[in-house]
Amino acid sequence: MRKVLISLLVLFSLTAGYLFAGGQPEAAEADAPTTLVVSSRLYSPASEQKFLYDEVFPDFEKENNCIVKFEILDDTVLLKRAELQAETGRVTTDVVIVHNGVMDQWITNKYVEELPVSDWPGRTFSAAFLDSIMSGGKTYFAPVGGDVYLLLANQKAMKYLPSGADVQNITWEQYIDWAVAIAEGEGEGKTAVTGVPMKSLIYMYGGMFLSYGGEFPVINSPGALEGWKLLTKMHNAYSPTVMTYDNVTAPMKSGETWLTVAHMARTGEAYRSNPSNYVIAPAPKGPKGIGSIAGVSGFGVPVGAEHHDLALKFIEFMTRPEIAVKVARGTGGFLPPIDEAIKVLGDSPVDEVIKKGVLVLQTGVVSGVPGSAYTSWGAVKQVYDDVFAEMIIGTGVYDENLLNEAQAKLEALKK
Amino acid sequence: MRITKPQLSLSRDNRKKMVPYLLIAPVIIYYTIFWLFPVLNAIVESFRDVDGIWTLGNYIYIFKDPVFYTALFDTAFLVIFSVTIEFVLAFGLALLINTKFKGSSIFLFLAMIPMALPAVAVGAMWSSGLATRGWLNSFLMHAGIIDDASKILFLAGGEMSRLWLIIIIDAWTVIPFVMIILLAGLQGIGADVREAGYIFGGTKFQVLRKITIPMLKPTITTAMILRIISAIQIWLIIVMLFGFNRLPTLLEQIVLNYDELGAASFERIGLALSVIVAIIVSATAILYLKVSGSFEKKKEQEVE
Amino acid sequence: MNSALQRQLRRSAKRTSLYIVLVGILFIIIFPIFFLFSFSFMSDYETYSEWPKPLVPSFKADFKIDKDTEGYHLYIFNKSENDFMPFGPLFFSNSEKDVSNLRKFIKLQANSKITDQKIEEYLRIVDKESKVEFSVRKDLLANYILFFQVINGAARAVLNSLMVAGATVVIALTIGGMGGYAFARYFFKGKNLLKLSVLFVRMFPAVSLAIPMVIILARMGLYDRPLGLSLVYSVGQISMSIWITASVFMSIPISLEEAAMIFGTTRVGAFWHVTLPLALPGLAACAMYSFIGSWNEVIAAVVLTQFNPTFPVVVYKALVGSQGQINLITAGSVAQAVPAIIFTLIIRKYIIQMWGGVKV
Repeated sequence: MRKVLISLLVLFSLTAGYLFAGGQPEAAEADAPTTLVVSSRLYSPASEQKFLYDEVFPDFEKENNCIVKFEILDDTVLLKRAELQAETGRVTTDVVIVHNGVMDQWITNKYVEELPVSDWPGRTFSAAFLDSIMSGGKTYFAPVGGDVYLLLANQKAMKYLPSGADVQNITWEQYIDWAVAIAEGEGEGKTAVTGVPMKSLIYMYGGMFLSYGGEFPVINSPGALEGWKLLTKMHNAYSPTVMTYDNVTAPMKSGETWLTVAHMARTGEAYRSNPSNYVIAPAPKGPKGIGSIAGVSGFGVPVGAEHHDLALKFIEFMTRPEIAVKVARGTGGFLPPIDEAIKVLGDSPVDEVIKKGVLVLQTGVVSGVPGSAYTSWGAVKQVYDDVFAEMIIGTGVYDENLLNEAQAKLEALKK
Repeated sequence: MRITKPQLSLSRDNRKKMVPYLLIAPVIIYYTIFWLFPVLNAIVESFRDVDGIWTLGNYIYIFKDPVFYTALFDTAFLVIFSVTIEFVLAFGLALLINTKFKGSSIFLFLAMIPMALPAVAVGAMWSSGLATRGWLNSFLMHAGIIDDASKILFLAGGEMSRLWLIIIIDAWTVIPFVMIILLAGLQGIGADVREAGYIFGGTKFQVLRKITIPMLKPTITTAMILRIISAIQIWLIIVMLFGFNRLPTLLEQIVLNYDELGAASFERIGLALSVIVAIIVSATAILYLKVSGSFEKKKEQEVE
Repeated sequence: MNSALQRQLRRSAKRTSLYIVLVGILFIIIFPIFFLFSFSFMSDYETYSEWPKPLVPSFKADFKIDKDTEGYHLYIFNKSENDFMPFGPLFFSNSEKDVSNLRKFIKLQANSKITDQKIEEYLRIVDKESKVEFSVRKDLLANYILFFQVINGAARAVLNSLMVAGATVVIALTIGGMGGYAFARYFFKGKNLLKLSVLFVRMFPAVSLAIPMVIILARMGLYDRPLGLSLVYSVGQISMSIWITASVFMSIPISLEEAAMIFGTTRVGAFWHVTLPLALPGLAACAMYSFIGSWNEVIAAVVLTQFNPTFPVVVYKALVGSQGQINLITAGSVAQAVPAIIFTLIIRKYIIQMWGGVKV
């Protein structure tokens, strides 16, 4: 045993020696293919990355004799790193994929450069997202992976569907009656929402308020008040452990919950795990039609990127309609935000999800995420989460004062 | 070769005075660069606002924030109960294992596994176990103890039940660590001392109270200090199970402000909170050392 | 005679109850870990669609196909329902595309490999006999295979982790060991204060030092280098090492060194030839302890690495987006835990010596 330990100790010393002796990560050799570094907030599930590596990148790599390195980081880390790298002058990312909520910060801080979109024919970026990706008439981001909110129901929930309601064309009143009926019939709440703070509850509820004529993210607009009034009926309709869901996929897959309105990537993931077990539909309607928060991510090239030209080629490649639709299918649950790509959708389970999303995007009242108008978007989300915890889960009693106080908090967070 | 004694001791004295400082110098240099500098930086920044103007605003914000007091209470509760429970259980285990039995080495290895598990694994294990349709309820159903109607909603409880869940999980993860420290101390005492106690007619309990525990005191102090420091800093498992802000603790609030909220103004509040936490941890540790009488003990040792 | 028997009885009763207690404790320790391993061998369908969830992974999956006017329907056997349940698309045809999609679906959701030809064969049987039931062997390692396929550069990351851990061990052990030796062997002014301050290093929340740390490392040109990361880990590990090595050296009688010096060697020589060999197991255990600490660390590593991530970072990033796939998450966790468990197996003998005599 002692010999093993000693030899291990020697081994450590050797590896450390190798380190000290300049064995630092070797630089790319001269004629090896260039490495294009893509840092993304999108496509974090392992299976989605596998798809990109297996089915999408090889074509591009062959065309340009390069290797695509894809890394996942969330938006805050990406921004923090951009800030640090702007300070140190060592930019190590060639392409970033960031959420539209933070695009503003990237653009105003001049972390990304303008994209030569006019050189890329044959693609029209969906109008819904132009506000986020453009600034002062210039395009800084190429949209990818749009998302809206969809309804997902377990087949077992169908017997509780209120009479006269059509899942594909359901109103919020009917949805809430449905959720309550399930809870009464099953003896426990079986509706899911992301109850863990600072996730996506704000978007689920915000979308509903849009359908009542509210504006996002005002929490006490007349439309929102009407929405909250209805939502208090859900007091017992949510699953008892709803406060610990940071993602609706797991409870929907395990059958712990049967009904949800959630981000299309999450609902899509559960749906695709067994399409015959679920019904997927657009988000419910209000008096103003379907309401939904629409998010999108965008490709951008950081100022000072080492492989600047290659980065532009990569973005051009990824926004070709046929590639965009291929990526959307393979990473199921995101919309290709390019009009030409939407036209070629078929009727497979994945296309089904995407088509429902497109329907919401094209016929509904959608709003983006005005993240950069507030000092901290996380704190804005928390305001919604607190009202949810207190008024919906806590008392179940509508309280307009609470909402007015919450709105005051939101105002205070404005820049 | 014969050297006269006074000469030797003189030269040795000089060297003796130098050597320990030389040996410790690298530690001090290292900590100056990699610890003191960032810490001073953090302390300074905690007294400034986003525009770099000196202010107490960050601290005032914290002391006005009701969440801070909840976090303070939760942390205190966590520390008091988790450290006590872990200590009692680990001490019992250590006493048990200290009586040599067949397979004690294998037992020790298995008991040490929780310590080796990465945080991701611990989080995944418990969140998939405590979910309503998790493995814990599944196991109980397979065992016929409960049925679907009486399944246990581990995660649905209020603040107290959440605190207790965290205490139990932390105990599960950390008891081996505490046990090993105590076990090492016990083995240092040796069986003969305790046997002497029995010979003089002591009962088991008396021997434990009068001989074992007093002799083990330095080890106990070490174990407790290390545990208090890390118990105050529990946050990852809380966030993995409940997310931010559902069970506020001091460290969880630091991470929330410093990392999650993503705004420079909150970052500084995180820094100010870090300074407060460092003061609290240090004060607790010193208080514990004072109360347990470790300072006096050290003076005695020095006299030796 | 009677009393001897009684004593023997009492002793064996004691022994039995000791073992019962031990088994109980082991059960509590192993029980959650068992599920971590068990889930990592299950398919997506097994981990989510049965209630109560299965406790052990099955070795095969049972399917049924039947047919009506819409087309073919696939079912999978669900143990908790004790019946075949709908699985996959609502209905499908025998076209090449549908069959190959079905094959992919079965592989992804049920971890079972079946060929297109085999499916077509079954469909022909359905045409004749209206339904068919069949079993497919489950690929137990499918989650691990998928996991290692999706994480790029796992080997490189493991190497990085080894380098980081190795350098941490060397730094912590040399710097900490020197300090520990000083605390164990010498009395000097401010010793107690210093020994306590070393502990105080752990009291400032490390999370809030990450950004200044990045700046320091970037200035030194060590950002995203294994050495840089190990410098950060060493902050915590040195203070630990000082306490541990101090206790190790304390347990070796000073008289041995003095004896060696009487025989003409210097203090340094005495240390090298007498104390160090005796202290080696304890030091090695201390090394392993820092090794496990830095092997498992992920929070700082996520911020401080980019292209040279450590293995835990790679695992963490792969798992961030997999919240709805507990089978994949557990596989990744196990892949990361196994090396640390093996290290623990190696150190268990020395861990007791390592802690012997730690005193404040």
